[in-house]
Amino acid sequence: MSKIVSVHSFRGGTGKSNVTANLATLLAMDGARVGVVDTDIQSPGIHILFNLDEADMVHSLNDYLWGKCGIKEAAHDVTGHLGTQVKGQVFLVPSSIKAGEIARILREGYDVGLLNDGFRDVVAEMGLDYLLIDTHPGLNEETLLSIAISDVLVVIMRPDQQDYQGTAVTVDVARKLEVPKMLMVVNKTPQAFDFEDVRARVEQTYKVDVVAVLPHSDEMMTLASSGIFSLKYPDHPIAEGLKAVVSKITG
Amino acid sequence: MNKEQFERALQELKAGKEDIRPSDLTTFSEPLRSALTMAVRIGRISLTDLAKQLELEQQQAQQIAEILIARHLLHISSFSNENEIFYETRLSAMTRPLGRPKPDIWERIDH
Repeated sequence: MSKIVSVHSFRGGTGKSNVTANLATLLAMDGARVGVVDTDIQSPGIHILFNLDEADMVHSLNDYLWGKCGIKEAAHDVTGHLGTQVKGQVFLVPSSIKAGEIARILREGYDVGLLNDGFRDVVAEMGLDYLLIDTHPGLNEETLLSIAISDVLVVIMRPDQQDYQGTAVTVDVARKLEVPKMLMVVNKTPQAFDFEDVRARVEQTYKVDVVAVLPHSDEMMTLASSGIFSLKYPDHPIAEGLKAVVSKITG
Repeated sequence: MNKEQFERALQELKAGKEDIRPSDLTTFSEPLRSALTMAVRIGRISLTDLAKQLELEQQQAQQIAEILIARHLLHISSFSNENEIFYETRLSAMTRPLGRPKPDIWERIDH
């Protein structure tokens, strides 16, 4: 049975898109058919991690929301862009990076129900094992929709006071929406911090399992979203942490 | 659901005229909220299951379902047959005809 996984954070810059792209790739390496939808219409970016060039974007999520195409036509097979053989497949529904199209969709708005339909249709039509939703930070109707229909919610935060307070709101809302499984990932943790202390503090604060405390990493900064970190550094603590998240998603 | 909860649920649902939005789910009282979040997550629910989740008689559950249909959260599914009504769920965030939702999300979540 397919699973819908939302990757969310209250604030921006926590590493959602990187985490989403890596989780999708790790799931595909295990043989799964994985879909990824970039619902961050205001500031899309995950297509860069999958090396999907703007020129190669035949259709985008924007086109689907405008009724120009079905959701399947906006799904691009990016498996070949990963740079390594994987047993499964990754399909990306990107959001448009054209300034005019971003402005238009923000100005005109759209029916969030179309996202609801699109998520279900792309899972059914593409025979997906997993659909990962890369969300816009913060709470809006679109992110609430993603959380409401998800089987798993991965909440990303940094060990930063602004993130601590904002994440409490996300966790509270997710509990109201009764997400079956909520997984916490603490990202960009300075090496100077005691990782077990961070884990304990977050677990005590939110009463949610912390699946991984990921270190702040020069290797990640140097890679600079030019590819999938777990493929380039498969033995890195970040890759190990993300594999633990995958294990919880599939388990 | 006892009588008071049922009346409150009817009142909550009838209070809004727009389509039920994702943020609306966070404001509903129990057991309505749990029943609807479950239905939304699965994508489909039968009248029998809805009645079970709401702890109501079928007739009362159907009253609730009718309001949810009017507010476009539920749609009668083609899976329905003479023995059972199935509903499909669809959250939306715009009125018909299309328009932007009110920017009151923080007020609603803080409810």
